[in-house]
Amino acid sequence: MENNIYVLGGAQTDFERNWSKEGKGVVALLKEVIDDGLKNIGITYEDIIKYNKDGKIACFIANFLGEYFINQSHVGALLTEVNPAFYGVPSARYEAACASGSVALDAAITKLRAGDYDIAFVIGWELMKTVDAKTCGDFLGRAALYEEEASGIEFPFPKLFGQLADETIKKYNLDEKRYLDNLARISVINYSNAKRNPYAQTRKWFMNEAQASSRGTSTNALIGNKLAISDCSQVTDGAVFVALASQKFVEENLKSKDYPIVKGWGHRVAPMKFSEKIKESSDSNYILKWTRQAVVDAYNRANMSVDDIDFFETHDCFTSSEYMAISAFGITEPGCEYEAIESNMISFYGKKPINPSGGLIGCGHPVGASGVRMFLDLYKQVTGQAEGYQLNKADNGMMLNIGGSATTNYVFIVGKK
Amino acid sequence: MDIRTVTVIGANGTMGCNISGIFASFGEAKVYMVCRNIEDAKKAREKAKISVRAEAIGKNLIPRTYEDLEECLAESDLIFESVKEDIEIKKDVYNRIIKYIKPNTIIGTGTSGLSINELSECFDESLRPYFLGIHMYNPPYYMTLCEVIPSKYTDLKILKEVKEYLKSNLLRKVVEVKDEPAFMGNRIGFQFINEALQYAELYKDNGGIDYIDAILGPFTGRNMPPLMTSDFVGLDVHQAIVDNIYNNTMDYAHETFKMPDFALKLISEQKLGKKSGCGLYQTIINSDGTRTYKVYDISSNSYRSKENYIFPFAKQMINEFKIGNYKSAFKKLIENNSIEANICIQFMLKYVIYSISTAKSIGENIYSADDVMANGFNWVPPLAVVDAFGGVQNFIMIANKKLPKEFLSQIDITTLMQDVPQSKYDYRPFFKAK
Repeated sequence: MENNIYVLGGAQTDFERNWSKEGKGVVALLKEVIDDGLKNIGITYEDIIKYNKDGKIACFIANFLGEYFINQSHVGALLTEVNPAFYGVPSARYEAACASGSVALDAAITKLRAGDYDIAFVIGWELMKTVDAKTCGDFLGRAALYEEEASGIEFPFPKLFGQLADETIKKYNLDEKRYLDNLARISVINYSNAKRNPYAQTRKWFMNEAQASSRGTSTNALIGNKLAISDCSQVTDGAVFVALASQKFVEENLKSKDYPIVKGWGHRVAPMKFSEKIKESSDSNYILKWTRQAVVDAYNRANMSVDDIDFFETHDCFTSSEYMAISAFGITEPGCEYEAIESNMISFYGKKPINPSGGLIGCGHPVGASGVRMFLDLYKQVTGQAEGYQLNKADNGMMLNIGGSATTNYVFIVGKK
Repeated sequence: MDIRTVTVIGANGTMGCNISGIFASFGEAKVYMVCRNIEDAKKAREKAKISVRAEAIGKNLIPRTYEDLEECLAESDLIFESVKEDIEIKKDVYNRIIKYIKPNTIIGTGTSGLSINELSECFDESLRPYFLGIHMYNPPYYMTLCEVIPSKYTDLKILKEVKEYLKSNLLRKVVEVKDEPAFMGNRIGFQFINEALQYAELYKDNGGIDYIDAILGPFTGRNMPPLMTSDFVGLDVHQAIVDNIYNNTMDYAHETFKMPDFALKLISEQKLGKKSGCGLYQTIINSDGTRTYKVYDISSNSYRSKENYIFPFAKQMINEFKIGNYKSAFKKLIENNSIEANICIQFMLKYVIYSISTAKSIGENIYSADDVMANGFNWVPPLAVVDAFGGVQNFIMIANKKLPKEFLSQIDITTLMQDVPQSKYDYRPFFKAK
């Protein structure tokens, strides 16, 4: 890439927090994450006013369902409520269900690369604890083809990813028990990684393999075919801020040039309906071929391969989606994902750790924020700022963020320059 | 430290049961849940599984009775005593188990305030190095604080290993505390709660209980107002804690641990709080399922409807918190000179001063009070209040301006505060917009 895009850093809120219980709304949420983010990257509100005079700064807001959860649309304009420094700053909302964070990042990266702006703030957020679990499940059904796949169905998404589990067993002719044990192992790895992450929703929760395998009990009820609660990420409230800058900005304004850069990206959209996805991928070795293609695109654009990637942050909205991602990343051949799980390759101390942060299952899944959270975690690992969950070797990281039932597939590679 | 088998004695009590769940889950230990009869033990086992939201730990939980103690203790690496908070009952239990304890077994008591030194003297010299206080808060799955209290006989190596086990295996926030009445969390927490109770009496003609709770509500850095907390734990438990402190300690806040007369009267009438149907508050479930919330009116000695007080300072603070303007909220509190705002800020200031003074006298370090209040009470940590008020110098200035002369004459705030660092906790999540 000619014009490198630099990641300056950012901040995230504590995903354990329930902002409704605190009585606080989206303005408070955004104020906190932006205040913290600016402090971390060393930029002030006065700087924002200065950059905006030349029209060189813009904001990209990721949010899925503000209309449903808090009766708020037009969320790109909300930053003007955070601080008057945002008056006049171009800002808009980007939405692609759970991949909203990535589509906002992509827009910001593209604008910077084109030279339209020098600095971009990407802010992903979602407040989901305003409604009960069933209502929330129904709202989230809008990420699928609502009329056909979600309307009138209790918890539609666990059921769609339960179908992914069923189809995975079928396609690769897997032993069901072995497959489900591997899904339980994925859940436990994510919970256990989250224990090291001071921002993770589940950092105080208990999970072990016996509990994750006790599907169908009252503390681990079945919720989507063979999948139980322990196979699911949990919704939460949260916001994440990431600042990106053009090469020109870094060279002209910052003392240190030692920031990570965006090395590659991939973006592919699969058929909206899950049944159509499976049908269309039947001629491929990969169960979700467009997810794999997004990964391949990112490797090609970065001129890298799986061998160059030290760690991954993936979209484990359910254990079945992380299982699928193992081969999509190229860690194993499709159908052999169990090898990476059973050999501990994807564990924190393994050769190819997945979700050192705890992932969606461990960190929590504030939908519009999750893509930006993964990206921030790539930055933290690469720059050695991941506190208790820092990996020993983290020069290059890849993230996969999916929207719907792996409909929108986004991949980024962030690494040392 | 390798703890594979634990015996919990008194496992059907709330704490015994929940702590059994913690040992069996995070600790992955086999836990003998010893109760007076097997039916209670079986019921406790079910509750323990639910308390950590994991039925799969059931295989680690084994119901047992006192008859089985010999067999249980022969196998145990750790014994956790959680029987009634009565020194004679505890001594009796220790006498029963002493002959079965194998060498090198850790013996922990869950007492919330009895003297660890005195309890340890029930054991012979060979066992005393292994005995210490392990005080968790309820419910332990959500409240991760664990105060560890060595006796003067506790072996320092054992102490270090137990602390590490509690921290790394059981994921507790471990704070070592000196063997002082009520230890640290309850000493600080009940200083605040009991003084609030005294203020309810003092301001009984302004409304009393619900009036004081409205002044010290969630917007002051806690989930539940202090007197509602007392009603929730029970006035009898509250009394046991403050009496123990009042009778056995002497510091500048001594008189604030004295239970007011109206509360003693409620206790004598068995109006203990939520658990007995009424106490400081009363919730009436109507025939149509709706609830009526009442409060004990100290002046008229009767229950009346709970008032919905709206104090301008509180309303302004809540509105600022709602949109994340923390600094403006505290500015509004500091600048307001109403009776209610003054009571509120005085309580917040005194809370910080008492906490720091207590941390210095009985804690591990200056951060101890923050750790106990955040993880045991879910209250804003005291050092974080200093941060919220703009740092140490601002805090001292505000304290000198807002606190009564009589209070200031008792304590040298400048010396007390001189080495106070920034809190490790973020104050923002603790101040609720409600």
